[in-house]
Amino acid sequence: MILSPQEVRQKVIKRIGLIKLLAFLLIITTAMVIVLAIPGMLGAFILAFVITFVFKPFVSFFERKGLSTTWAVSIPFLVSSVLVAGSVTLLLPILVQQISTLQAEVPKYISQVSDMTKAKSLTINTVLSQFTDIDIAEQVMSYVQKSSTEFLTTLPNAISLALSTLILAPFFAFFMLSDGRMFSKKLLAFVPNNLFELALNLHFQINRQMGGFIRARILESALVGGIVWIGFLIIGFPYAAFLALLAGVTNIIPYIGPIIGAAPAIVIAFANGYSALMIGIVIAIYVLAQVLDMLLVIPLVVAKIVNLHAVTVVVVIIIGGQIMGILGMIISIPVASIIKLIFTEFYNHIVDFRS
Amino acid sequence: MNFLWDNIFKKLDREQNIATILGNNILFRNLSKNELKFIENIVHIRKYRASEVIFRQNENGVGMYIIVKGKVDISVVDDILSDKSQEKDVVITRLEAGDFFGELSLVEDAGRRSATAVASEDTVLIGFFKPDLIEILERSPTTGVKVVFRLAEVLGRRLKETTEKITQLKKEIRVITEMTQQ
Repeated sequence: MILSPQEVRQKVIKRIGLIKLLAFLLIITTAMVIVLAIPGMLGAFILAFVITFVFKPFVSFFERKGLSTTWAVSIPFLVSSVLVAGSVTLLLPILVQQISTLQAEVPKYISQVSDMTKAKSLTINTVLSQFTDIDIAEQVMSYVQKSSTEFLTTLPNAISLALSTLILAPFFAFFMLSDGRMFSKKLLAFVPNNLFELALNLHFQINRQMGGFIRARILESALVGGIVWIGFLIIGFPYAAFLALLAGVTNIIPYIGPIIGAAPAIVIAFANGYSALMIGIVIAIYVLAQVLDMLLVIPLVVAKIVNLHAVTVVVVIIIGGQIMGILGMIISIPVASIIKLIFTEFYNHIVDFRS
Repeated sequence: MNFLWDNIFKKLDREQNIATILGNNILFRNLSKNELKFIENIVHIRKYRASEVIFRQNENGVGMYIIVKGKVDISVVDDILSDKSQEKDVVITRLEAGDFFGELSLVEDAGRRSATAVASEDTVLIGFFKPDLIEILERSPTTGVKVVFRLAEVLGRRLKETTEKITQLKKEIRVITEMTQQ
């Protein structure tokens, strides 16, 4: 069959578009494989993205004031280094003192928890013995021993991984902020002409959404940590700074994070033999922090940003947890919202337009 | 060593060309050299082959294009015919180097393209899109405001022209109606 010159031209255009698309996908896939294959790289990149999105408004602010990009990027890093150093100098002695006291008292808490478990297990075993011959106390103690051994063996690796992440992440973030725009532009140049506007718009929207989401999550963590700290200082609960930090950090894990964050304080309250009223107040402080988070930050900020249905959120968190554990749970919501955004945009571009 | 110098001069020439073309465009006129350099780093250079579609009518549009080299045909679907299968694109204008099109998409929210743009020969375009305009406004509001003001001027002029055309058409329809009634 002889093709007309017009048909030949269209064939060439399609072929070039396909080659460009393959090159673009190859670059993206290679980058993803490298990030996933090298241990600690994914964590470093996620943390770098967090730093990038947190610093971006400040970089834009300094650029608006007429500073060059290099200075506009360097200033937030310098200021945050000073702030981190200052907080470490101020807070570290309190945290170290609280952690060392906690460390010294851990055996006491374990033995008290073990006594409590044994006491309760007698009752539970009496009931359970009618159905099964499992010894609850023995099961709990063997689990605790196994977990402690596992924790101690994995601790050195975890520390080295955390350190490399903490060193690499700011390094990546600096270059994402200073050269990220140029890099994105060069990457977008590989996108075929017929998909270019779609890709550019998607890139812009994903950036916007992720920036908003990360800033909102940090706001949530700060709010929860702040309320716990103030609450514990008012009631004079021990290890206030450490427990507040823990509550703030674990709050980034959806659903189970707040429970993980609150558990140590409740164990400490029980082990110290606090009154039921005091234990109630400790729980109430965590509940208050969560309620304020749910009433203020989530509906006003997070929900508007991610635009996902509540059931979808639960499902994606479960899937994320199954695939990548705690990290999967943390990144599941932003990843799901990106997938939704890509799907919606492609749908609008292809199906809606064609109809 | 000649090849090396050739490449450098070609690159310099191209860069100067982009800056000149941007500076000559009404949207970026009156911008300083530094501001033009800043815009140059933000815009996108896209190459199209002859007959390649730049965008289609009714597609979601996110920005405008300035022609650096080549020619672009702007066409609309002739839907006056009742038979949909007989619909065809009618070229309404041919744009050349220095011309620009699609600027309405810079301000529209999820706006649809009102016409189809096709490169009629091998063409190089400067793409300037809504995310780029937002970036300029965020990073350099003074420059951004100048561009937005110029954009408003362009859109206002287009609106005025359209209104004048509609008024003219209404007059012609009235005359025809009166003539047919007589």
